[in-house]
Amino acid sequence: MSGRYLLRRFGLILYTLLVVSVIVFGITQVLPADAAVMLMGENATPEQLAALRARLGLDDAVWVQYLHWLGGVVRGDFGVSMTSGLDVLPTIVESLSRSLLLAVLSILLMLVVALPLGILAAVRRGGAVDIGLGLVSYLGVSFPEFVTATLGILLFADLLGWLPATGYVPLLEDPVQAVRHLVLPVATVSLILIAHVSRMVRSEVVDALHTDYVRAARLKGLPEGLVLRRHALRNALLPTITIVALDVGYVLGGIIVVEEIFAIPGIGRQLIVAVQNRDLPMIQAAALVLAATYCVMNLLADLTYAALDKRIQYG
Amino acid sequence: MSFDATRRQLLAATAGTAFVPATLVPATGQAQGTPRRGGTLRISVDQAVGKLNPLLVRVNPEYLVAELLYSGLTRLSTDMTPEPDLAESWAASSDLATWTFVLRAGLTFHDGSPCGVADVVASFEAMLDPATASAARNNIGPIAKVEAGEGRNVVFTLRAPNADLPVTLAYTNARIVPAALSKGPGLARLDREAIGTGPFKLVSYEPERLVVVERNPNYHAPGRPYLDRVEVVIYPDPTAEGSALMSGGTDAMMAVQPTEFARLQRGGGVRVLRTPSGQFCNLNFGCDTAPWNDVRVRQALALTIDRGAMTDFVTEGFGTKGNDTPLNAAYSYHRQQPQREADIAAARRLLTQAGHANGLKATLIASDRPAVRTQFAVALKEMAKPAGFDIEVQTMPHATYLAQVWRKGSFYIGFYNMQPTEDGIFSLLYTSDATWNETRWNNAEFDALILGARTTADTARRRELYGQAQALMHRDVPSIIPVFFDLLAAERTYVQGRVLHPRGAVFRLDHVWLGTGAPRRG
Repeated sequence: MSGRYLLRRFGLILYTLLVVSVIVFGITQVLPADAAVMLMGENATPEQLAALRARLGLDDAVWVQYLHWLGGVVRGDFGVSMTSGLDVLPTIVESLSRSLLLAVLSILLMLVVALPLGILAAVRRGGAVDIGLGLVSYLGVSFPEFVTATLGILLFADLLGWLPATGYVPLLEDPVQAVRHLVLPVATVSLILIAHVSRMVRSEVVDALHTDYVRAARLKGLPEGLVLRRHALRNALLPTITIVALDVGYVLGGIIVVEEIFAIPGIGRQLIVAVQNRDLPMIQAAALVLAATYCVMNLLADLTYAALDKRIQYG
Repeated sequence: MSFDATRRQLLAATAGTAFVPATLVPATGQAQGTPRRGGTLRISVDQAVGKLNPLLVRVNPEYLVAELLYSGLTRLSTDMTPEPDLAESWAASSDLATWTFVLRAGLTFHDGSPCGVADVVASFEAMLDPATASAARNNIGPIAKVEAGEGRNVVFTLRAPNADLPVTLAYTNARIVPAALSKGPGLARLDREAIGTGPFKLVSYEPERLVVVERNPNYHAPGRPYLDRVEVVIYPDPTAEGSALMSGGTDAMMAVQPTEFARLQRGGGVRVLRTPSGQFCNLNFGCDTAPWNDVRVRQALALTIDRGAMTDFVTEGFGTKGNDTPLNAAYSYHRQQPQREADIAAARRLLTQAGHANGLKATLIASDRPAVRTQFAVALKEMAKPAGFDIEVQTMPHATYLAQVWRKGSFYIGFYNMQPTEDGIFSLLYTSDATWNETRWNNAEFDALILGARTTADTARRRELYGQAQALMHRDVPSIIPVFFDLLAAERTYVQGRVLHPRGAVFRLDHVWLGTGAPRRG
């Protein structure tokens, strides 16, 4: 893997982001109503709307608005929210950090639970663990987040009173409360991931255990544990990495629902509110951040692939 | 001058009868014993506090925060009469066209600087300037000029006489800000910080999560506020918000959805609040457009609605029947007309007389926010069918509705909050020169009645004029108003002194205190 390869990938990511920004901007132009209408709501008079549009720069030609925005971004200035009047960049960074905390914890929990479960189910195929996992993961995949989240709140907050219903407390403000508030959302997000990934791991490991090289390893007398670790898993986990990388994209989407229910002011909620308010700079920044995360995760997955499998060369 | 002296008795008379079932704690008069000082109140709201600038706030959570941080000249009492805020008294010229407000002495802003006549004048000039884009501009009355008078006097010169000015000046956006911050870049500073004269000072502001305020030791009302701190927390999901109150994570909810009310009512340690309000859902006709320009068609459709069933369906049982005028018992000049009920035979007859013997097809537009608009439209479609109306319901996102249908369409569903005055709602929606004359009814007789009531100070005369105006609307049906909503809220039982305000956008948390059993927070 060469430096030139990395450079090319980063160039591609920048190009993707540029395209995303043009598309998102284009879509917001097609949507009915603009930020001025949404700000004034049913209090709008034509002259006030005109004054507000002039102040927000909505009077300029579409391409002028876009270039103005792009020029700012190149200088690191993501503009000011049309709704709240607050700077966009710090708002987005802060909400992204909350979402990332939720996403990273969920993915870690998923890895810790789903990998061993999937491997165990594969090794003891047809056993109690395998059948139990099959049942649970089908349930997990078929329940959408808003159902598991609401059920979780009703059970653990309302009935049992063990956990706070919703809300978000920053880690630095009160670590204990912060963790208590994170349990249900993290469980909700990771449940569906665990269900998905453990099934994938199981079937990949089952496939690997039936290959010729595993049979050869067994025949030359290697202990079963070593066969599993060195020969089966190493090959079985490669596709899993792709699945995980794709799931990260899914997490960023699914997190929007979870953030809404658990009142976590993350990037997803930021985007929903921005779209409702037609808050252009905020929509653009949130969409870019989500797209960038997705691109970077894909790049990371490819790099991990190459690191694990020497046959894969990027150049 | 005495305004609406009978409103308190009127509300007292209706409470406990038709509007408030006996099992409910009445919405007023919670306070037990003397108020205690101290403590933190954590109150939840259902959407982001997206705006901090008091001249520009637009939704209830923002109104709540603005009211904590800022004051107006007057404020709206729970019986809808004006009471002194920064102004200690006021008087009108005999023609009601010039009003003089006397400011309290020794007022200070949160930063310690004095608040004087110049700040009041600058604040009102900012509200009236179209460039500010403040909703106050259309709502605080026909003000031609605001200027400093002698001493602590502020003088308002009106373009037309207005008996309601002290009430309209209590408008949610009519707040006093420092003169230096009333325009240009200064005004933009108020998006991030708050320098007001309100009962609380801003501690921290996160639009999507939490707003924290602390007691203003220099607040003008002696003894108040009682609370040391108020935390406004944002919960976008109604189930989660209710759960937070029931599990003790929060102390109060600003508002409760009808769907959550029953669950909260059963919760231990929770008190539910309910008050009838002038908030309504309606159907607007473009009275200048066929077939709605024929009064018989409008009357026919109004006669198809089973109002009892409609109220139950749209409000989940937390509402009252409407009678096709925007006033109900929550307004003091409400006059009960004979209740219009469903009469399909009469509706058919009227429709035939109007030349639609074979029925009438129409497309009814309902925005998706709030969801009751769609519920109302779908129920109406079914109720109107037997009389020969073939209504197709078209729902659309609220933004599309605002941009394409509102004030332009001729057959759509509206939803309006209670206004501070009778004149407020009539001259907002139904007079020929109404700010949003969406029905284009343009009835000169009606206009004259409303103008007459606005320009007289005699309560009995005003009652008569508003009574005639309501009868006229009831007869002509420029808009079908079948349902009024009750306002609902909830709190832990240790929360004392909170009164649910029928206007919806008024909260008065400076009167709230915490009784025994309140948790320590903060």
